[in-house]
Amino acid sequence: MTNDPLKALNKKLKDNWTQYLLAVISIAVFIAAWHLYAAYLHENDSGYQGYIPYPLDVAEALVDSFRYEDPNLGLTMFDHIAASLERILLGFVIAIVIAVPLGLLMGTFRKADAVGRPIVELIRPIPPLAWIPIFIVVLGMLWGPVAIVALGIFFPVLLNVMFGVRSVEPTLMDAAKTLGANRSQMFLKVVLPFTTPYLMTGVKVGLGIGWMCIVAAEMVGNYGGGVGYFIKDTADVGAFEYMYAGMIVIGLLGILTTGVAGLIEGRLSRWMGMK
Amino acid sequence: MDGHEVNPCIDIQDLFKTFVKGRKEVRALANFSLAVPDAQFVCLLGPSGCGKTTVLRILAGLETKSGGMVKVKGREVSRAGSDRGMVFQEFALFPWRTVRKNIEFGLEIRNMPETERRKLSSKYIDLVGLGGFEDAHPKELSGGMKQRVGIARALANEPAVLLMDEPFGSLDAQTRNLMQKELLRIWSATRKTILFVTHSVDEAVFLADRIVVMTARPGKVREDIAVDLPRPRDRTSSDFISVRGRVLAELDEEFEKARAKELSPD
Amino acid sequence: MERNVLYAIVVAAIVIVSSAAAVYVLTGDDEPKEKYPVYFVTMGVSSMKGALASGEIDGFIAWEPFGSEAILEDLGEPLIWSGEIMPNHPCCVVVASTDYLELDLGGGLTGASMTSRFVKAHIEATSWMVDALDDKDSANYTLLVELGVQFTGKSEAIVESALDHMKYGYEMDQTFMEGITNFTEMFIVGGAISEDKLAIGGYEDVDDFVDQYTNETFLDAESAVQPSDVILNPDDPVRIGFLKSDIHELAQWVAQNTTVGGGAKSLFETYGVNVVNASAVGGYASGPEEMDKFAAGEVDIGYLGCAPAIQKHLNAQVHTVIVAQANSEGSAIVVEADAGIESIDDLQNKTIAVPSTGTIQFVLLKRAVNDEGLELKLKT
Repeated sequence: MTNDPLKALNKKLKDNWTQYLLAVISIAVFIAAWHLYAAYLHENDSGYQGYIPYPLDVAEALVDSFRYEDPNLGLTMFDHIAASLERILLGFVIAIVIAVPLGLLMGTFRKADAVGRPIVELIRPIPPLAWIPIFIVVLGMLWGPVAIVALGIFFPVLLNVMFGVRSVEPTLMDAAKTLGANRSQMFLKVVLPFTTPYLMTGVKVGLGIGWMCIVAAEMVGNYGGGVGYFIKDTADVGAFEYMYAGMIVIGLLGILTTGVAGLIEGRLSRWMGMK
Repeated sequence: MDGHEVNPCIDIQDLFKTFVKGRKEVRALANFSLAVPDAQFVCLLGPSGCGKTTVLRILAGLETKSGGMVKVKGREVSRAGSDRGMVFQEFALFPWRTVRKNIEFGLEIRNMPETERRKLSSKYIDLVGLGGFEDAHPKELSGGMKQRVGIARALANEPAVLLMDEPFGSLDAQTRNLMQKELLRIWSATRKTILFVTHSVDEAVFLADRIVVMTARPGKVREDIAVDLPRPRDRTSSDFISVRGRVLAELDEEFEKARAKELSPD
Repeated sequence: MERNVLYAIVVAAIVIVSSAAAVYVLTGDDEPKEKYPVYFVTMGVSSMKGALASGEIDGFIAWEPFGSEAILEDLGEPLIWSGEIMPNHPCCVVVASTDYLELDLGGGLTGASMTSRFVKAHIEATSWMVDALDDKDSANYTLLVELGVQFTGKSEAIVESALDHMKYGYEMDQTFMEGITNFTEMFIVGGAISEDKLAIGGYEDVDDFVDQYTNETFLDAESAVQPSDVILNPDDPVRIGFLKSDIHELAQWVAQNTTVGGGAKSLFETYGVNVVNASAVGGYASGPEEMDKFAAGEVDIGYLGCAPAIQKHLNAQVHTVIVAQANSEGSAIVVEADAGIESIDDLQNKTIAVPSTGTIQFVLLKRAVNDEGLELKLKT
């Protein structure tokens, strides 16, 4: 029964070493190709050589962006990350607070579904980014970007929760009934736990979309910087090595947040015995 | 042999059940009557679709009847309740709950204090032989063990009757035989009234005090056969084989009828 | 009994809260006047009016006609015009792609010779505008306003007000060169340009950069350029870039107009130049965007703010050079009307929108705020 996680990891590493090697090679080849292309542009004094800086310059800019403040803004990359994370977090909380009850409601009651579905289906295909100009003006520079993020996270969570509620096995409901559960007890002790892994899937997908939204929203307008703002600001002045550094940060943060969400999802469903 | 006592544990009279399937009305049960005294082990047998499971689900309160009377311990059945425990073919265990927490589900529902809950669940864990697996999740258990949890969970509520819907239907033959013996042991320890739906004649003869063979749809009681063989029963004994033969013959006839009906356009 | 206890609690709470408030107010008054920072946010110039109206910002700094527009619509009032912050500061410039300058168009024509002709038309157009502005009763002034309305899509009143605050000029004189030097130094201090970029670009210092990045040969050759009876580059039009609705860059619009040119030909055509707008949507949204189009080889000669030209040339080695001035001054800090903001000092704790940190407008705001001994900080 006992499983040493370290041993398991070791074994996994051993089993998949060719895959890891290939991953490393693929990244190395990518960086090498990038370097060669940049070198080609610089050798030929291309008009847009500055737009494709050398990978090493980008790496240096990445380090510098964390080490030094931007004199105009008085912010380091840490501050930008904190600002973006704050927006993601606020948007996330708002999305969860609205989407989860709504998803439970719409998943449970046909009438709620009939009322909510037309609006959901109408708004869902609109990319959250389409709302940026309106949200920035109507909701302002703080809540505008937050609302964009919230909208991005909202639908995957809502739909997954709805799907989760509808996926509850009928025999589980029967079992709970024969064990004496009333409606609210069945909801609390069967529907809710059953839906939790679905919710986590929604959160994982939603966070990925949220990151895309925050970058775009921060480019249009915000308070207090943010990585998206950093990317726009550095691109505006033509400091492209910094712009790429910002893009790398966004990519890494995206991987990190969805990774953490995935980890929580895995842990939770394992802890709940669902996987 | 006679189940019509003064106060039967299960008392069903003239039960009707009609389903609407698409545009068609399907009569699942008609004039089904059955009385089961306390502590009796009754097996319900019949061709597929005869309404065995429907009887069980109406008794459990998971489905409503279309007519007739259904009483358990003298009380009309109207909704599901903890006085009737049910064991499902698909086990229906809560995957996010450990063995112990699954067994305590009904007790939690009743707001039983934790210490009491623990005592009771321990008792049933021991009874069904799950000692050492209290903290395992269902996915870590074999089919047989899962059903032990299902039985313990139903018993923990201390119901008047145990309704079992093909509980061993998805187990392999060996586990099935073992579980049959285990069930008899548990039954003799608890003396619950058991209504047990099965497809297997062999299982019915091995387990039951009484085998009720149902007719094809709309289902009613075709034959009520007492099994007076001493336990533990020997599947190879001539008595066992003769009872089995008798039940099989009844069943075959109904099976043929059901098939003929299926083939005829109605 | 219970009720009395409740009353006592309520009374006690009121006393505590109000005395705390009194202490706070009184001690607050006693403290020496602390200087608070001025906050800035970045947003597109076209959004600033709406943000001011909604109270999202307390003011903005923008190029004309966006200041005049907000003022005439009673949404804001001018706090200070940019000429008061930094007299005769350079603003928009005419930039040529160095790749275009080296282009051989065949038949003795080169990108450089076409640029000479282009600059000549720009000079004529600018002089025409200066003359028109000098005499507001003239027919030329009426035409200038009409052209301004056409180009910006704003009302006549807005355009007239904007024109009042414009200084058009083509020359790259001492003041202009000093202004460019000043801006470049401020960009380096402000972090928009890192110092090593000068070396990467092959410049010894800021003066060397300014010297090399401004090419006066086209202005100097002006008197030698004669009108041409025919269009010299019918198949290779000069692809010109400019910012949408930016009245600073009106000269190219004037030079494209046939009425200004004397009836049959525009000024560009008079000098044999065939031009085409590089942007498919009637102008670029920002200077940085226009510089990107230079880099992509889509623009030959363009009008844009000197800030993005300097920054993107130095930071990203975009092949460009400044060949003439387009205007100086012409920006304003506009603040919410009737909000009691009467000086830069009153901007403490207020939020001012700038188009981006890479603009002259940002540099001007920073200068105005710093000159008052205040700090300019990003709004958080």
